[in-house]
Amino acid sequence: MRDERGYWYLLTGVLIGAVLGLLYAWLVQPVQYTHTSPASLRSDFKDQYRRLISAAFLANGDLVRAKARLDLLNDEDSYRVLAEQAQRSMAEGASFDEARAMGLLAAAIKQGAPVISPTLPPVPASPLAETTAPEAALTATLAVTLTLDGTPLPLFIPTSPSLSATASSLQAPLLALTPSPTPGAPFVLVNREQLCDSGLGQAQIQVLALDAAAQPVSGVEIIVTWAGGENHFFTGLQPEISVGYADFTMTPGITYTLRLAEGGQPIPGLSTSECKGADGGTYLSNWRLEFSQP
Amino acid sequence: MTRWFGFLLAMAVGAAGGLFYGWVIDPVKYIDTTPDALRIDYRSDYVLMTAEVFQVEENLPDAIRRLALLDDASPVQIVSQALEFAEQHGYSPEDLAAMRFLYQALQSWNPVLGTLTP
Repeated sequence: MRDERGYWYLLTGVLIGAVLGLLYAWLVQPVQYTHTSPASLRSDFKDQYRRLISAAFLANGDLVRAKARLDLLNDEDSYRVLAEQAQRSMAEGASFDEARAMGLLAAAIKQGAPVISPTLPPVPASPLAETTAPEAALTATLAVTLTLDGTPLPLFIPTSPSLSATASSLQAPLLALTPSPTPGAPFVLVNREQLCDSGLGQAQIQVLALDAAAQPVSGVEIIVTWAGGENHFFTGLQPEISVGYADFTMTPGITYTLRLAEGGQPIPGLSTSECKGADGGTYLSNWRLEFSQP
Repeated sequence: MTRWFGFLLAMAVGAAGGLFYGWVIDPVKYIDTTPDALRIDYRSDYVLMTAEVFQVEENLPDAIRRLALLDDASPVQIVSQALEFAEQHGYSPEDLAAMRFLYQALQSWNPVLGTLTP
């Protein structure tokens, strides 16, 4: 009688045990999530986290620390994610300062710019800061020393767009030991051309801001006005094109005037019209304006 | 009796297998967590970021708004916990100074009036 029943009872026991084990592991005592990392945050909280990292970067100028913080979010491409979030924020009408901070951080990551820290030398004492590479900290200190060797420079990245543009434009020349551009010099229009670009699909005003050393400058505020409207935007939000680049989409039939917030002459009469591309197709024309510091 | 023993043993083996699967092979994954679940060192760094921004902008409502994202506790409590962690784990003097600056500002914050109390 016993032999006829076989060993099914063992399989039954294993199955019941497994079910009880899973219930316990998944429901009663699941893996704790009280000690999570920023990488597991919901996407909207990650956006908030990136905003704060960018704001902190703008406050302390410490790119090494900002990158270490961004790494915690496990983004595949930090600079692209930041640039996209900056553009999205602008489109959603969020704070200009926040969008600008994210754009500047994205640009700094793209450029690999050195740390500009108000606290010299950078002391990475927090557990997070300890993750930064020592050679990066050395580069940072060296960059600041070089800076101090020449013309005295602000150690903060200031919150004013005009000053931040100067600060960011100074970073690249410093590494190459080239003369620094004139701080605060107003931008002048050096090139204005109407293009017929078949690849864009929309009419744009494209702006490129360069410093005296012909390096692109991020964080330059641009104001576009038209009958019944005004829009502000900044260079540096599309670092994949150039950190000194910004664009604005035109509506056919409207004439725009553009000027840089920090002064300079207004550029009136910017409108789009139909044009013929090289391939014979008809497209909406674009404007390309290039500004430079003398 | 032997049969019962075998049954219970099989159940224990099954339970062990279930636990191993549920805890190790395929544990519950929390991919959309909230900031209040962050580990204390990440929370402290979040507070430090807020303090770094506050040190430059001195905008207390903004700092409070950022801290509110972290927890339901009062901002003073959040910064106090982070400061304690920072002191115990050797944060740099500059970082500690920034956090203390924020902590002091929060202590004089009057949440009812929304102003700094002298």
